[in-house]
Amino acid sequence: MTGKWQLKDHEAERALFDRRLAVAAVFIALLFAALIAKLVNLQVFKHDYFSVRSDGNRIHSQFIPPPRGLIFDRNGELLADNQPIFNLTVVREQVEDMESTLSFLSTLIRLNEDDIEQFNNRMRRNRVPFSSVPLRYVLTEEEKSRFAVNSHKLPGIAIEHQFVRQYPLAALTAHSVGYVSEINREELDRMSDAERENYGGTNHIGKTGIERTYEELLHGTVGYEIVEKNNRGQVMGTLDRTDPVAGKNITLHMDSRLQIAAEQALGEFRGAIVAIDPATGGILAMVSKPGFDPNLFVTGISTRDYKVLVTDEINTPLFDRSTNPYPPGSTIKPFLGLSGLHNGLVDYEFAIEDPGYFRLPGVSYRWGDYTLRTAIGGGHGHTNLQKAIYQSCDTFFYALGNRMGIDTIHQFMSQFGFGENFALDISYARTGVLPSREWKMASRGEPWYPGDTINSSIGQGYMWATPLQLATAVSIIANKGKVVQPRMLKEIEGQAFQGDIKNAVPDVMLNDPDYWRFMEEAMTMVVHRPYSDTFRDYGTAYEAIAMADRDMSYKMAGKSGSAQVVGISQEIFHSTDIIVSDLNKDHGLFIAFAPTENIQISPQIAVAVFVENGEYGSSVAGPIAKQVIDTYLLDILQIDFAAMEAATDSLISQVDD
Amino acid sequence: MTSKDFIRQSDGLGSAAAKSQSFWRIIHTDPSLLVGLLLLCAFGLFVLFSASGRDEGVVQRQGLTMIVGIVVMFVVAQFNVHFFRRWAPSMYAAGIALLGVVLLIGVEAKGAKSWLDLPGLPSFQPSELMKFVLPMLVAWYLASRPLPPRFKHLFWSAVMILLPTALIVLQNDTGTAIMVAMSGIFVVLLAGIRRRIVIGGALALLMVSPAWYLFLAQEHQKNRILTFFNPYRDPTGAGYNIIQSQIAIGSGGIYGKGYTLGAQSNLDFIPESNTDFILAVLAEEFGLLGILFLISLYLFVLVRGCHIAYRATDMFSRLLAGSITLTFFLYVFVNMAMVSGLLPVIGVPLPLMSRGGTSIVTFFIGFGLLMSIQTGGRLKVR
Repeated sequence: MTGKWQLKDHEAERALFDRRLAVAAVFIALLFAALIAKLVNLQVFKHDYFSVRSDGNRIHSQFIPPPRGLIFDRNGELLADNQPIFNLTVVREQVEDMESTLSFLSTLIRLNEDDIEQFNNRMRRNRVPFSSVPLRYVLTEEEKSRFAVNSHKLPGIAIEHQFVRQYPLAALTAHSVGYVSEINREELDRMSDAERENYGGTNHIGKTGIERTYEELLHGTVGYEIVEKNNRGQVMGTLDRTDPVAGKNITLHMDSRLQIAAEQALGEFRGAIVAIDPATGGILAMVSKPGFDPNLFVTGISTRDYKVLVTDEINTPLFDRSTNPYPPGSTIKPFLGLSGLHNGLVDYEFAIEDPGYFRLPGVSYRWGDYTLRTAIGGGHGHTNLQKAIYQSCDTFFYALGNRMGIDTIHQFMSQFGFGENFALDISYARTGVLPSREWKMASRGEPWYPGDTINSSIGQGYMWATPLQLATAVSIIANKGKVVQPRMLKEIEGQAFQGDIKNAVPDVMLNDPDYWRFMEEAMTMVVHRPYSDTFRDYGTAYEAIAMADRDMSYKMAGKSGSAQVVGISQEIFHSTDIIVSDLNKDHGLFIAFAPTENIQISPQIAVAVFVENGEYGSSVAGPIAKQVIDTYLLDILQIDFAAMEAATDSLISQVDD
Repeated sequence: MTSKDFIRQSDGLGSAAAKSQSFWRIIHTDPSLLVGLLLLCAFGLFVLFSASGRDEGVVQRQGLTMIVGIVVMFVVAQFNVHFFRRWAPSMYAAGIALLGVVLLIGVEAKGAKSWLDLPGLPSFQPSELMKFVLPMLVAWYLASRPLPPRFKHLFWSAVMILLPTALIVLQNDTGTAIMVAMSGIFVVLLAGIRRRIVIGGALALLMVSPAWYLFLAQEHQKNRILTFFNPYRDPTGAGYNIIQSQIAIGSGGIYGKGYTLGAQSNLDFIPESNTDFILAVLAEEFGLLGILFLISLYLFVLVRGCHIAYRATDMFSRLLAGSITLTFFLYVFVNMAMVSGLLPVIGVPLPLMSRGGTSIVTFFIGFGLLMSIQTGGRLKVR
């Protein structure tokens, strides 16, 4: 401090250095101590926490969705298949510039704003880093190859495959088999915790038809896989695995050939056909036309396509005509007739003199005979029950219904499934209306008037029934009272499905079983009673069915019906696009079973045909029913009625000898 | 003379030891330090094998680099420490010149333009060499001045420190710049700079740092500091490294998951698991016990370094030895503190453990200097 050349004090300097070195050593010790404290905190006190974090990092439990059970028709034809589709997916962490990647992608594949918005929504949800998020579903082959050529320019974008439902018959089975579609929030909320877990790996759920009814059978049980993943999300190894249990393959009673034939038989008409095997109750065909392509719903229907479906108020393709009710019209007459016989109100000979109208005692209003509206007027003259059936005489049934009263009508007809759903596995089918005093009071708040009975007696007024109910009811006549509840499901994995025996519906017992034969005969006359010299003494469907096919090798029983159209919306009524009179036309109905009057085989098929605005039951719906029955008996079962008849004849002649 | 007498008196017991000591002196090697370093190298290679995903190639290259380093260490140790003292100013000048050349024609790697790729030479970082050249110069300068250093001498020391530091900062290599500056500062601290100034300087640094943060710090530096305080502000980005390395360390527990069984490192969750974050692999596989073992190896080397500084005969040697030892410690501590989340992430390797060429050879140069001091000083007395 005093001079430039101060003498160095080596001893003091050394002591100073040593002190500093000691201080440094203390610092080293302190800093190491702090480090060790930090490590002890991490490795001892927070060890459990970080162990869990470490496992959470690498161990991922992933669901393995079970393959959905396939649906076959009775001949093993696929009605619902699982097919791979290819989706474009994005791993966000691997994409450098999302903006430019998307714009480049849109030059390769169809990518509209809808897709990008949905993709952004998926991205916003919580997701595991490095997981892939779908950008577009169902790439076409062309899109796939265009992407493959450019994939090296698109890091983080990949094509992944997935199995989804495919319906080979498309619109043909849209209502009966139904369809699956993406599970929505509501459906998940409805599930129990266990169910929700079972759907952990599943995107789809049955929404309608069989797909919905047998969702539990078809879905199967989810599997799990516990895998170790690296930080890029690659699976490095499987630690544990529980295989999924595939959904059950099921077989329906449906015969796809008959389903196709029925749909074609309807031609240009809207309507529904239900065909039942009376022996088993198995539904051979259930068609609602027009249908829609259920495959559209599987991967998410576009708003445009959906709008087309829901705004078509005339065709209403989403509406299932086979399980929704219409006024059954004259098709209920056989049941009312059976009730008359059973309750002793009429016998085989009982007859009325039909003036062409009915009048309640003391009431001036005349209930006219609808079946004679367009004809030359007058009545049917002398009319017994069989003639009232094959000529569809309203007046006879007005009088019979009036005498029977609504209570008896209700009690008797409910045995045939009217106002109820007899089907074992079509829970969504409507029950229609089988009116009663209680029903009217409850739903309309009005007492039952005698006039209501008159209307109900010919299947109008409050009487409503679905084509499925009509087919069921007519199959009970075909079975002579034995009730076999209609069902879709035939086999589960090859095991015959028995149905719920506890809730079996009792058979219909008549005082005299011969009434069944009598009614079958009357209904056979509807189709086969030819023209004669006697005025108005032919079957209503003779001309359209038996006369139109002179080679008809078997006999069928039938009953036509037509129902007044009610409730055409004003919107359609005033629309200029449509000829209003077409929509105002009556619905045509026909119920039938065959073969009849055959001593070797019992009826093999019972059919209900509903033709929307078909106008005529006998001439429009009747031939359609015949076509369906022809297909089943002659093409599918390949029954040789000529040979059968020959055998019968020779048997008879042997007996005679 | 007196020591010779002493050895002669305690004949029988001391002659073997004396012989071996003289052997080590002849080859200018400190056996204790050598053993410590070899243990560290062996352990380093062992851990690297697992950290690299059982890549023998990586381990072989690292082993080769270590052998080169040890050879360099022997070579350096053969020079008398006074050679380095005499040449300190020239080496410093050459170092500064090289740093200037790097700024002009340097090669960029990992964002820092610090590599020099001269034809015929392996590419190297001149900034690494400054870790020894700078303390040499400062020690040369202060050792011949009265201690504790006066203000004037401190000023010039500061100039000597700031010049290379500034050049390295310009190379965009802040981490190395800090380490180089610290190697010079250690000399000044050991030289007995007054406590007032040290405390004042520390306070000043503390006051200036917010201003630095607000006005001078670059975006990535700010990010690192924010991430240090809350790694979860960006768990998949800036905070990812530290979160994953903490998970690795914490999940290792006391005993570790076992050699090559570290899930975090084997599944690539730890970034830079071969280099800066190798401690996380060690901590995961060998647990707290493994880390304590490593720390004790380092402590052994550090104690030996301090001992050499303590026993050195002249002030230049002491200051240089002390600075080298403390710089080594600083590397160890900063790396461990960074990996365990005690300090923000600074790209600093874990000495002799992290994979790397230049850094390993540089550390061995430092140990060569320590050995030169340890053996050279004594020889001169003789």
